[in-house]
Amino acid sequence: MWAVLKKELKSYFLSPIGYICIGIFLLIFSIFFYLTAIQSASIDLGNLYYNTAMYGLMLIIPILTMRLFAEERKNGTEQLLLTSPRSVTGIVLGKFFAATTVVLITLIISLMYFAILMYFGTPNLVPTLIMMFGFLLLSMAAISIGMFASSITENQIVAAVITAAVLILPWFLPNINESLAALDLMNYYSKFPAGLLSATEVVGLVSFAVMFILFTVIVLKRRKAVK
Amino acid sequence: MIQVKNVTKKYGNFKAVDDISFEVKDGEVVGFLGPNGAGKSTTMNMITGYIDPTQGQIIVNGVDVGKRPRKAKKQIGYMPESVPLYEELTVKEFVRYMAELKLVKHKDLKEETNKLIEEVGLKEVENKLIRNLSRGYKQRVSLAGALIGNPDVIILDEPTVGLDPKQITEIRDLIKKLGKNHTVILSSHILSEVSQICEKVVIINKGKIVAIDTPSNLEEKTKSKNTILVTVEDPNNKMESIKDKLKEADEIKLVKDNKDGTKQYAIVSDTNVDLRKKLFDILPKEQIIIFELKKDESTLEDAFISLIDDSKETLKDNSQTTVEEQEEKNLEKNNKTKESKNKQKEKNKKGSKKEDKK
Repeated sequence: MWAVLKKELKSYFLSPIGYICIGIFLLIFSIFFYLTAIQSASIDLGNLYYNTAMYGLMLIIPILTMRLFAEERKNGTEQLLLTSPRSVTGIVLGKFFAATTVVLITLIISLMYFAILMYFGTPNLVPTLIMMFGFLLLSMAAISIGMFASSITENQIVAAVITAAVLILPWFLPNINESLAALDLMNYYSKFPAGLLSATEVVGLVSFAVMFILFTVIVLKRRKAVK
Repeated sequence: MIQVKNVTKKYGNFKAVDDISFEVKDGEVVGFLGPNGAGKSTTMNMITGYIDPTQGQIIVNGVDVGKRPRKAKKQIGYMPESVPLYEELTVKEFVRYMAELKLVKHKDLKEETNKLIEEVGLKEVENKLIRNLSRGYKQRVSLAGALIGNPDVIILDEPTVGLDPKQITEIRDLIKKLGKNHTVILSSHILSEVSQICEKVVIINKGKIVAIDTPSNLEEKTKSKNTILVTVEDPNNKMESIKDKLKEADEIKLVKDNKDGTKQYAIVSDTNVDLRKKLFDILPKEQIIIFELKKDESTLEDAFISLIDDSKETLKDNSQTTVEEQEEKNLEKNNKTKESKNKQKEKNKKGSKKEDKK
């Protein structure tokens, strides 16, 4: 897992993708920082993370995850990975945590907004950390979806579109039927802004991530038989 | 040792590899020969565990690839045909990553990477991005990826495609060197290459093994006639009548009329007769001056072509029957669909009747 993780991180930052993702992420953060903190003179960062998650993730995650497996498949380097004595699960986890690390780096940089607020007042650190933790879990769930989309196609754009669709469409589903609201990842993030760490939400997000990681492993193993 | 037992790979109804079996002993260099689409790469992909066979079993050094893939893969170094590489990495980074993937121990990583880079001749480009390398160098990087970790079995899918003659000889020498203490399977289109490097040749066509033998045996086997090429100066045109005196010759034909007054003839006879001695005797008596006389050596190329042609003929017979079978099936299908359509129509009629009743 570590070998793949290291190499994937290297690839993120040897190509512009890593920088573009972090850059756009921070731009969105900054806009919402202005809207939710500066404009309304609030020292509460809950809304900052919530809004960025809502509008940022569906933009960033598809770009971050689209290349994970699609690129390997297109270039044939998948052959190198899958004929190595590494386990498929290890390879998938390595890629998953590489993408997660990029989000984590952004989150650590986002602590600067907290530092800025400290100049104006005394913001509360614990709810902010809880909010960040929730943000990370939410990103992991979204990354696993993106990774799965990337594993089923060799076209990166197709992977990105599928991911974006899966992340955006659930917004409108509750209008059709209330029970479909469970498909919306943002639902699992609604209690975090209040500084609450709810087991239901944590378990919900983690199981989402685990489920799509498993799907990815199954797809890769299954392809051996079909290919 | 590699054992391939009754392996079949199907894509839908198409059999890419059809019930092949062969064995490669330790330290043997085996060449895979066959036209495009014969199933060479598919077979190699199955041995390396990249794809699963539909049927059959592959055992590498006593480990079943299907049942314990990770242990089997540990013993195999594979260079795929398309030379896939991570172009954004440098040569050194790539070889190191491959070493990590191949479970080389952490403390040996640096040493082994450097040693191999030196061995394959990549020292001068080790810090260059793979993207910027020429085809020859890329091929060597891919080869390095296959050799890292010192696996017992090395599988090379067309290792010399796209190289210049100098690079080809370099890679061939390297493979010969590897063959001393590794088991090597390589595939190739180039027949002279296979006959130079390999101790055993497996010829595949349309997913079936046509022949397994040593290159020299194959050449021998496929030879049906002895041909002697003779270049003569023949001012009186007596070559035409020479056949009466050479009773063993089946045929004497003009191959080439050189502009310097000499002509080249081919003299064909059965395999068990050698006419060279007789020609030396007879021709001068007829005032024909011999410039050159040689036995036409049949090459692996001829063996290959004749074997492939044979298998094509047998395949043709098979395919005809299958076509007929398919047509029958199609007919059946059409009938069935017609039947189902009729049923639907009836249903519709009934439905409309019910509505009428309402």
